Amino acid sequence: MNSFDDVRARLDTVDYLVDDGLAMAVFLAVRLGKPLLLEGEPGVGKTAAAKALARALDTPLIRLQCYEGLTASEALYEWNYQRQLLAIRLAEADGSRLGDADLFTADFLQERAILRAVRYSGPRPPVLLIDEIDRADDEFEALLFEFLGEAAITIPELGTFVATRPPVVVLTSNHSRDLHDALRRRCLYHWIEFPGPARVAAIVRRAVPGAAEPLIRDTTEFVGRVRALDLEKAPGLAETIDWVSALAALGVTDLVEPLVPQTVGTIAKTPADRRAVVAALPSAAPPGGQP
Amino acid sequence: MDRAAFAVALVDRCRRAGLSAGLTETGDLIRALSVVSAGSREEIYWSARVTLVRRQADLVAFERVFAGVFDDDVPLSLTRDADPAARPEDDVQLPLPGATSRSGTNGGLPWATLPPPVAARDEPGDDAPAVPEMLPAALAALADRPFDELDAAQLEALARTLAAELEYWPRRRSRRRAIDARGRRVSLRHTIAQARRTAFEPVTLIRERPVRRPRRAVLLCDVSGSMRAQTAAYLHLMRVFATVTAAEVFAFATTLTRLTPALRHPSAREAIAHASEAVTDRFSGTRIASNIAALLDSPHGNTLRGALVLIASDGWDSDPPERMAAAMARLRRRAHRVIWLNPRAGAHGFAPKVAGMSAALPFCDRMLPAATFGDLVTAVRVLLAPLVSSRA
Repeated sequence: MNSFDDVRARLDTVDYLVDDGLAMAVFLAVRLGKPLLLEGEPGVGKTAAAKALARALDTPLIRLQCYEGLTASEALYEWNYQRQLLAIRLAEADGSRLGDADLFTADFLQERAILRAVRYSGPRPPVLLIDEIDRADDEFEALLFEFLGEAAITIPELGTFVATRPPVVVLTSNHSRDLHDALRRRCLYHWIEFPGPARVAAIVRRAVPGAAEPLIRDTTEFVGRVRALDLEKAPGLAETIDWVSALAALGVTDLVEPLVPQTVGTIAKTPADRRAVVAALPSAAPPGGQP
Repeated sequence: MDRAAFAVALVDRCRRAGLSAGLTETGDLIRALSVVSAGSREEIYWSARVTLVRRQADLVAFERVFAGVFDDDVPLSLTRDADPAARPEDDVQLPLPGATSRSGTNGGLPWATLPPPVAARDEPGDDAPAVPEMLPAALAALADRPFDELDAAQLEALARTLAAELEYWPRRRSRRRAIDARGRRVSLRHTIAQARRTAFEPVTLIRERPVRRPRRAVLLCDVSGSMRAQTAAYLHLMRVFATVTAAEVFAFATTLTRLTPALRHPSAREAIAHASEAVTDRFSGTRIASNIAALLDSPHGNTLRGALVLIASDGWDSDPPERMAAAMARLRRRAHRVIWLNPRAGAHGFAPKVAGMSAALPFCDRMLPAATFGDLVTAVRVLLAPLVSSRA
């Protein structure tokens, strides 16, 4: 990747459309070798950005889904205790002696996502996606500092692993909790805005190739209007794509068709939202003249 | 172009506008500028934004600083117009003009630094625009004045002191448990997981304690005609709760309006403006009982469960008192504490004779006066105080 237009073109070939800001953020993350923290509303394409980046760079995507109570043994590494016990039993049966140095070796190490990314030995660095970091505890953020800062992991029994080719790290956050400044300082940051109607239409066109052009135009324009309503959970891009693919699968060509209210569950996720969205649907009564 | 000088000067301006950019960010920007061709304003803008801004709340300030540096020769781009954060009525204060005028005193350095701290003492009669510092006594005097005698700026200053009162927020015990060396219970799961390392002998006991979470708060404010004098102050009260804690806030007169998203805005003035726009039935009649019932039935009714509920109203209700009693009984069963703020309660010789008020009173933990900011601070203290058998 030589320039940020190149990034845009490459992501374009894997059907992920980016604006200038995201293209620059991804380009700098790859070129400077710094982690990239993406924030934005749910369903705006944060996770999809990491997936598309992995496809564009033609490297594997290593994904770590964060949750409350996530610890080092699930994210970094874990010793394989069963195999260690077996080795001890075998050694006892053979009459040989085993020391600490024999038990804590790379053979007994179980790699988890982050260590796997550090020790990855492919031709190109992998993309590591640390998804929804705001769901993990504060302690876990602190655990990540060494890795984010130096792309290294220290295992007390073995020593420090340093990545030969630092992985491209993408962190996503739904902004449900304020992340610590120390974490933010180690990352580049980009806030993904919800795109305008024209861009939404372009993205949906790529994601659902089978959908008719008037349908895409109507739905994206309708979703734009729905987002202005006071909903508990405003529909994002992912929901819009779901909806258009549902409508396309049903063979619907126009939003006034009677099947449409039954598909609203793809963009409205609570009963109150569903009522509001159905009420906002254009009615069939005035032919051609939508509100 | 001297990249280092440019980056340092830009970071310095950002810092003065309130961004927390430091040496790391400066280094990132310099390296970014060296890999980006940096031919267009767009490229410089995005590389600076990606490297310097580390949180969404800082974007507005960054936009201002960047526009201040670059907008003389290059017109605004489309992406910035689309950004709702860049609206001109935003009240972020940036001391840019003053900063450039002072840069001459910095020994010829290409950037402007903060003025030395001794300068202020040497020349107290400096004509630079200064922030008038509120003395505690001045605030205290304001706090005892009725709301209708205060102007918008005074309300904002008092709201800030109110926010400081919310520092210690009561917590509730949740059903989750977290590991803690001083916990009372032994965590079976983690102890056994640890025991795997010791041939399933539980050598180290791992203890746990219940997780405590901040207790939710729900505020309901009357914005009807009879509460006209207090509405602005109560909006500030609601905003303080909505921003400092995760409170749900509602305004009502004839219908119920949820103001939580509007009032969460970081800028006080914007938040109040949004909220005033959202409330369409301001200064009309009051239907307290129907609105409480509507809240209980709405999707947000669940937020009342175990919550601290604060109702601010004078109790003038056009619904029959039986409805009020029924709604308050339901609310009482669902909430942890119910506190009623009545602007008239502080008046001499006040007695809750209004039908709605007297119907609601048996279901409230406390009724407190709320005609001045001093009253509000007292009310907040009562609300946050540990519960001492007030439900008996």
